[in-house]
Amino acid sequence: MTSYLRYLAGRALLWLVTIFVAVTVVFVVPRLVPGDPMDAMLSRLAAAGASLNAPQLIAQYRELFGLDRSIGEQYVSFLRELARGNFGYSINNFPSKVTDIVTPAIPWTIGLLSVTTIFSWTLGSLIGAVVGWRGGKSKFFQALVPIALVLYTTPYYILALILIFLFAFTWRIFPLSMAFSVGARPELTLKFALDVLHHAALPALSIILVSLGWWFLSMRSLITTQKGEDYILLAEAKGLPERHILWRYAFRNALLPQATGLALSLGHIVGGALITEVIFAYQGLGWVIYSAIKSLDFPVIQGSVLLLILAVTTTNFMIDLAYPLIDPRIRQAGGE
Amino acid sequence: MLLQNRKFMLGISVILLLVLLGLVGTLLTSPAMRRTGAYPVSLPPGQGTPLGTDSLGRSIAIQLSEAILKSLQVGLLAATLGTFFGALLGFASGYFGKLVDAVLRVLIDVFLSVPSLVFLILIASLVRGVGVQAIALIIGMFAWASPARQSRAQVLSLKERTFVKLSRLSGQSGLEIVFLELMPNMFQWLGANFVNAFLAAVLAEAGLSLLGLGPQKEMTLGMMIYWALSYGAILQNLWWWWLLPVLTLMCLFLSLYLIHLGLDEVSNPRLAAQA
Repeated sequence: MTSYLRYLAGRALLWLVTIFVAVTVVFVVPRLVPGDPMDAMLSRLAAAGASLNAPQLIAQYRELFGLDRSIGEQYVSFLRELARGNFGYSINNFPSKVTDIVTPAIPWTIGLLSVTTIFSWTLGSLIGAVVGWRGGKSKFFQALVPIALVLYTTPYYILALILIFLFAFTWRIFPLSMAFSVGARPELTLKFALDVLHHAALPALSIILVSLGWWFLSMRSLITTQKGEDYILLAEAKGLPERHILWRYAFRNALLPQATGLALSLGHIVGGALITEVIFAYQGLGWVIYSAIKSLDFPVIQGSVLLLILAVTTTNFMIDLAYPLIDPRIRQAGGE
Repeated sequence: MLLQNRKFMLGISVILLLVLLGLVGTLLTSPAMRRTGAYPVSLPPGQGTPLGTDSLGRSIAIQLSEAILKSLQVGLLAATLGTFFGALLGFASGYFGKLVDAVLRVLIDVFLSVPSLVFLILIASLVRGVGVQAIALIIGMFAWASPARQSRAQVLSLKERTFVKLSRLSGQSGLEIVFLELMPNMFQWLGANFVNAFLAAVLAEAGLSLLGLGPQKEMTLGMMIYWALSYGAILQNLWWWWLLPVLTLMCLFLSLYLIHLGLDEVSNPRLAAQA
């Protein structure tokens, strides 16, 4: 048990360090851009013709983030405010805080991403295992590989555009955009739930199809490698049923690298899904970022970025926590 | 070897064809033909212009040829930067070990686990309105983590080989060993990494463009899709406006991936035997 604890401690430390470094990058980057970030932002806003109560905003912002103080002091107060959950004020909707704008978007992004990722990872791994095991024997199975290759190399948002064209424009089966119908109020009724599902279908499908291709290809090649191993030969020689060998032997061994793959591509998945949200005007974090970019609202962009960093690193940490469940070697020996 | 690999050859032929189309379209047209309103608006393909026009009266064929070249330029520049600095950091980390390795390993882990798109969004939203080259530089700045991790692993395995030990005994310095002994052994393998980084960079540029952070005054494949969507090309049923850059981007990604697979098979013959 102590080795498991040591594994946990190591992972937790890496998790914290990752957040710390990423947050530091977010702090440093705007300050590397020449000029006062606040002034630059406001003058750009003024150029864009926006009306705002600038002096009050500047005063508030400077006081909160101490922009007139030294870099070191600024950094400390930046970290302190973040730890308190204060991401600053939105420039465009001044009295409201960044958190007020970002928080309502989080459930939509997490809902869309978690359901699609878990679904495609599971389905892709299962199909990949079967095809990897019986690969050479069936024409149909062999035809799946190039299809998966094309899907995998297509970015989510490209597939999203094609799906919109086919299923929302040509055949009007699904809505073009938004997370629920205009005028509908978020409430816990069957009608609203169905409306949400109807709107989520296309964004979800575009994410599922693309990632399915990758999980399929990766599991297929993992199983193919396992097939040649000695322990499989032994199991076959013992006369174990084929189904047993595939699912209890080969599949279990391939599951660990497949889970590592999930952890490694999480950032990639999140990045792609953000843009898919933009294409569908789906009101998650991606859409918030897009709107903030349109309205030059830097604090909102920065807040969303920080939240995404927290979310991705924390999910990665949670996958790390699940490893020992899959791999007894980590439970017993403490892993790498 | 490489020239006999079908995947590699197919991929590289498609890329070369795209470059050729880009060059022909860009070199054979005058600035007057690229102007807004140079052609009648919203023409379908084949009626006066080869690939139709958009709702601002610009030729899709001319836009597409410029966009192909610019997108490839982004990929080339960003991938060169990312692979070069990534390999350098990976070598340093793997070769020097100890504290250098510990620090670099954490940094590599951080930049691998956090989606680089979020940093790109942050920077690009601060330095808005920059051109293709600046975008490529920014993307390149965050493209080093994956090549760094892989070259670190590669160096760790090469380091223990006899020829490296021999050169250390014969008095070569650390840097000499890195550049004269290790680098030449890794060129082919770095190629696969370069192609990967290239793909990621083109993808990142398209993503930034769709978010409205692309090079507003130039045409890349991502910007072309961005403008098409902004002007409602799908709803106006001007399919040639948005579908052609989309298909070109898909072709580009697929052929880059085939090149990557081909390079992998050649530098790692066991893979080829498997397939």
